[in-house]
Amino acid sequence: MKLLVNGMGWVSARGCGMVAADWSVAFGDAGTVLSVPRETIFLQPVKNFGRLDLASRITLIAVSLALRDAGIESSPRHKRNIGIVGTGSDGSLAADIDYYRDYVENGRRLSRANLFIYTLPSSSLGEAAIHFGLTGPLLYTVDQECSTAAALQVAASLVADGSAPRVLAGRTEGERALYLLLSGEDERALCTLDAAAAILTGSFDVDAMVEEFARARG
Amino acid sequence: MNGHRAVIVQADVITPFGKGIDPCWQALLEKRSAVTPVSRFATGAFNSDLAATVPGLDYLGEKSLVMQLLERLFPVQAMVPADAHLLLATIKGEIDYLERSIATGAGDAGECRLDRLLARVSGLCGVRGGMVVSAACTSSSAAVARGASLIRSGAFDCVLVVACDGVTEFIYSGFSSLMALDRGPARPFDSSRTGLSIGEGAAFILLMSEGRALAEGRGVLGEIAGWGMADDANHMTGPSRESEGLIAAINGALACADCDRDDIGFISAHGTGTVYNDAMEMGAFRSVFTAGSRPVYSIKGAVGHTMGTAGALEIVVALRALREKLVPPTVNLAEPGEDARGWVSPDPVELRECTAALVTNAGFSGINTAIVLKGYGTP
Repeated sequence: MKLLVNGMGWVSARGCGMVAADWSVAFGDAGTVLSVPRETIFLQPVKNFGRLDLASRITLIAVSLALRDAGIESSPRHKRNIGIVGTGSDGSLAADIDYYRDYVENGRRLSRANLFIYTLPSSSLGEAAIHFGLTGPLLYTVDQECSTAAALQVAASLVADGSAPRVLAGRTEGERALYLLLSGEDERALCTLDAAAAILTGSFDVDAMVEEFARARG
Repeated sequence: MNGHRAVIVQADVITPFGKGIDPCWQALLEKRSAVTPVSRFATGAFNSDLAATVPGLDYLGEKSLVMQLLERLFPVQAMVPADAHLLLATIKGEIDYLERSIATGAGDAGECRLDRLLARVSGLCGVRGGMVVSAACTSSSAAVARGASLIRSGAFDCVLVVACDGVTEFIYSGFSSLMALDRGPARPFDSSRTGLSIGEGAAFILLMSEGRALAEGRGVLGEIAGWGMADDANHMTGPSRESEGLIAAINGALACADCDRDDIGFISAHGTGTVYNDAMEMGAFRSVFTAGSRPVYSIKGAVGHTMGTAGALEIVVALRALREKLVPPTVNLAEPGEDARGWVSPDPVELRECTAALVTNAGFSGINTAIVLKGYGTP
């Protein structure tokens, strides 16, 4: 089965955007992705977006852009068999620290469920699944090199073995993220799996990767 | 089924009952529970003081709980083929390093990163590289599914799935904050169940292609014949009341195994003991197995909810049940919930014929997995 990348959403320190659609927003001097109007990024309002942890918010933005770039109108009400595989070197470390520090500072007598729920490495992927109605397999993976390409390969194998017809794969690091939608369909193909894997190998420089994907798109 | 068969050639577990499947199996048949008062941290602020812990571990000592568990599981490296592809399943791994760092200021909280645990485990097992698979409480069944897929596709012919999670104050306080703990030992599928009991343990499952296993003259314990994974896409901590995610996972696993639903002789359920999980599972079982009930059990009343280890441990127990043609009782079950009557039992159930079993797991954010397990030699 020939696997293709159908769309890509990205968030870097300088901007966010979509590759196939050749669309991006620059943050400017003082801004971050969180200062971009949400309606610019999301087709539908995301419930409780401001209450999510940072990793979930950044992941949701990149996933929203990737789905839009692939021409998929996602919605929590209209669920689709799309999987999601995510990676990130720190996993849920920031949320772990927030949760446990809060618990210790409260004399180990009060633990907050709204902080605890983000302490799973897969939590940000779960938020994405809920908000975009993704009902396929959901996995956080990390190898010793914290490789984005490895997550892509897991997504590819999920498509190849029939676990889901389309699978998102990507990585979130702090306020940077990049997600691709992978499928066996040749509509709206941005590039091949092999080309994407070659671009995603190495350090996680989102701006450089975006440039390479734009060149691959041609 | 196309491709290589993924067979289990070796497996072992550490549970609160000890090392190996024998003491765990015996405890299940004797309806014993390892859920007892926690002594490794104060529980006064929580809505339970119980958990199933492995005796003799040094909490907040030099080594993490999970590495202590895994060192018991892998006393010698030579047990594992050096070319095995490692899949490490865990949810919180060495989170006790972070606990110590925040509580005392000593050490590096980042030492609990999962890539670092992966490096330690690959060294312990004598294999190179590998990957962490974390999918909430389905982590190890998801890892087994990934491993079987890699073997079926021919990408690897030997995959080692290692699973581990420990009972720590971080995890315990978190589940307490969710009001998910039963004050007493968990009572899966019971009409009066109110929550889960946390447990800890470790397990490994060594998968090989059938061809390699036979070529090496290895004994085969069973086959991972099919797998399915699906998400409810519904809620972070509560399962869908419609059970559609687990139904999709089960149907996917049956199709993947090219297995008729009537071939499933029994079901090892996730069975946490929470009201909503167990109801969701029974809804799925009743929806899929329309021809009638079949034995369903949960081991979590005995060993607690071992989190990332749960799926692998439950696959190993189900292998034993397949071999013995004996379904273990659901420990602590007194009065089955209405939806579970005729399916679960407080006593062991003997099977006349059984060629395949189903193992299900579910986790935060609505993740569901289903594994079809076959005895070896089953067509």
